[in-house]
Amino acid sequence: MSSRRGKKNGGEKAEATSARSSSRNYGLPLPGINEEELGGSLIVIEGMDGSGRSTQIALLTEWLESEGFAVETMGLRRSGLVAKDIDALLAENTITKMTLTLMYATDFYDQLEHRIIPALRSDFVVLADRYFYTLIARAAARGIERDYLQGLYEMALRPDLTFWLNVRPEAAFEREFRKSHTISYWESGRDLSLSDDLFQSFIMYQAKIKKEFEALSERNGFLAMDGEASVAAVNAELRKRIAAHLGIQRTQYRPSAALASLWR
Amino acid sequence: MATRAASATGPVSSTPAEDSKATSQLLQPARGYPGALIVVEGIDGSGKSTQLYLLKRWLEIGGYRLHFTEWNSSPLVKSATKRGKQRRLLTPTTFSLLHAADFADRCERQILPLLHSGYLVLADRYIYTAFARDVARNCSPRWLRNLYRFAPLPDITFYFRAPLDVAVNRIMSGRPKLKHYEAGMDMNLSLDPAESFRIFQGRILAQYDEMIESDNFVVMDGTLAVNKLQKQMRQFVKTRIDLSRFAPQKAARRAR
Repeated sequence: MSSRRGKKNGGEKAEATSARSSSRNYGLPLPGINEEELGGSLIVIEGMDGSGRSTQIALLTEWLESEGFAVETMGLRRSGLVAKDIDALLAENTITKMTLTLMYATDFYDQLEHRIIPALRSDFVVLADRYFYTLIARAAARGIERDYLQGLYEMALRPDLTFWLNVRPEAAFEREFRKSHTISYWESGRDLSLSDDLFQSFIMYQAKIKKEFEALSERNGFLAMDGEASVAAVNAELRKRIAAHLGIQRTQYRPSAALASLWR
Repeated sequence: MATRAASATGPVSSTPAEDSKATSQLLQPARGYPGALIVVEGIDGSGKSTQLYLLKRWLEIGGYRLHFTEWNSSPLVKSATKRGKQRRLLTPTTFSLLHAADFADRCERQILPLLHSGYLVLADRYIYTAFARDVARNCSPRWLRNLYRFAPLPDITFYFRAPLDVAVNRIMSGRPKLKHYEAGMDMNLSLDPAESFRIFQGRILAQYDEMIESDNFVVMDGTLAVNKLQKQMRQFVKTRIDLSRFAPQKAARRAR
């Protein structure tokens, strides 16, 4: 906390935090967590594979660190508790949808409790490479009731900012294919048997996901962005919004040599 | 057997439509499947597992179509649960979610298909174990009720009720080494595992008692003689469930 106080505009930020601290969850507090203790900021970037999320997170991390902010990241299937188990479950096709939904929820809450909350306690900026919104969209696309899913994530922390990188499924398919020369079984929704054709299946599945996201966006106030714009243009827009939130004056940024290849 | 057993209200159902139908001394519960589900619940040492085993033997010997399932037995999420417990990584929320995932796997791959194919399913512990234990760990009851909404509701839920001292003494005499989560050591109730276990079991017992009315538990006196309890249990099963549906001849006829 003391690092924040030493900074310009720190006071403003602290005020903003306390003003919305009463509604930091979606209806229920996590047992054993005092939300009053949480500082920092939680910034979420959502969007399908191929929308440029990871690229933007790498660039934003560098920019924020150069501005003197400590950054922590999270993403799906990265918990110490069950990430490996989910990988194993996905590799065999015996897993059923409710079990998978709950394993992902375990992964999410483990990261929330063991990574995000400690980071926010220490005044970090947490950049989330996807959040539970994706998990709701995927499960809802597979027929699990939406109000069940909302109840499941009722104890999640409400992000300060949620960006939604919007791309056409066709464009995402191209980007992904160019990158890895294949499309993942799950990202193309093959388990839903939408089409035998991989491309068709991907397009149909992502259209379903997008529909879910539109509803989520309306309810949660996502900042929709054109994910098909250039990396630099998307990054400039993200920086502008984040700078306003964190009280950063100067938003000029050029990536270091290490990240220069991402800047196109 | 306590008063609840004699009352004729059906089990609490997931939909109002089912609720309204489930009011008679029903033999054919208004479910979307031909099977039936019998559940035993109660704190450790209440005698529930012994009684369910004896009920199972009785039905097996009679040749009935049945399947027995236990809480916490799916191999799918076993490694995660084991790792979480060993390294003490679990919070009340992730502890609850992992057990829910485990239950979902059993539910989707065993319990529901068996109920749909006309089996009598016997469950040693069911969703009420999660409700009692996780609320005792300060999880929100509302969140938990939603979490397990996908579970089919039992036709009978036997609640084996034994005084805390009796139950704890039964456990402590046979199994002196208590595990971390089992003893509720994650809640800092006491530094002494035995004392922590006792406090934790007391909280769970209180939660079970809370559900007697709302969840239509059939309360069984866990201090009675084993054979006497078993007689009551069999009698109740016969009056509540049309066992002929699961009898061997009937099963053969259905297969044809």
